[in-house]
Amino acid sequence: MVNMNANVSGISNSMKGILEPRPIQPKINPDSSGMPKIGGSDVKKADFANVVKNYISDVDELQQSSNMSIKDLLSGKNEDITSVVSEVAKADISFKLLVGVRNKLIEAYKQTMNMPL
Amino acid sequence: MNVDNFFSPLDISISGLKAQGKQMEVISSNVANARTSDAGNGEPYRRLEATFKSDSDLGGVELDKILPDMGDFLRVYDPGNPQADGDGYVAMPNINLPGEMINLNIATRVYQANVAVLKRYQRMVENTLELLR
Repeated sequence: MVNMNANVSGISNSMKGILEPRPIQPKINPDSSGMPKIGGSDVKKADFANVVKNYISDVDELQQSSNMSIKDLLSGKNEDITSVVSEVAKADISFKLLVGVRNKLIEAYKQTMNMPL
Repeated sequence: MNVDNFFSPLDISISGLKAQGKQMEVISSNVANARTSDAGNGEPYRRLEATFKSDSDLGGVELDKILPDMGDFLRVYDPGNPQADGDGYVAMPNINLPGEMINLNIATRVYQANVAVLKRYQRMVENTLELLR
């Protein structure tokens, strides 16, 4: 499983920067803390993309190994049906989670695009 | 045992299935050799017994050893048998078929219980994923 905690906390940190009332500062040094940095969001984006990519490759790995074990079973290389069942169950669960997360993301994107401006 | 892995309930149930599969193998060997009067070493077949141990890091179960049952051989009176001794007795394996049948039932039930745990865990995960919809 991919640990998504790091990313989630990253998002909530950037949200905090936006949502929290900014401390009113004298306008001597506008670059110091208090303002959410625009440059910082690039790093967060790359992080999120990486997390998704890693997760997809993890799920793909499980799918591949389940495929391999099915092939091995059918070609007679492996006769242990329980390990095939375990591989398939893992691939199934992780794929279901991936599809669930993807649907949620697409839904959020659609909602954002349909926002009346 | 550590419980930080999402998949470990699956792996543990699968280890139970594998262990009961081995148990089944031992029982079938015992039943098949119930009348084997010569196991190749000059004495009748000895009943085998599988012992299991728990897998310390995963928390599952694995086969420990397959040990011979050192109980006395059965002595069957059969004077016409070429393997009979001077008194007309033939030594037969120390296998009690009804007992093997009970062991078979236990193995089947434990296997079913592991499958039930596996299925229930899968349903649990699916229910959790329903929350995403």
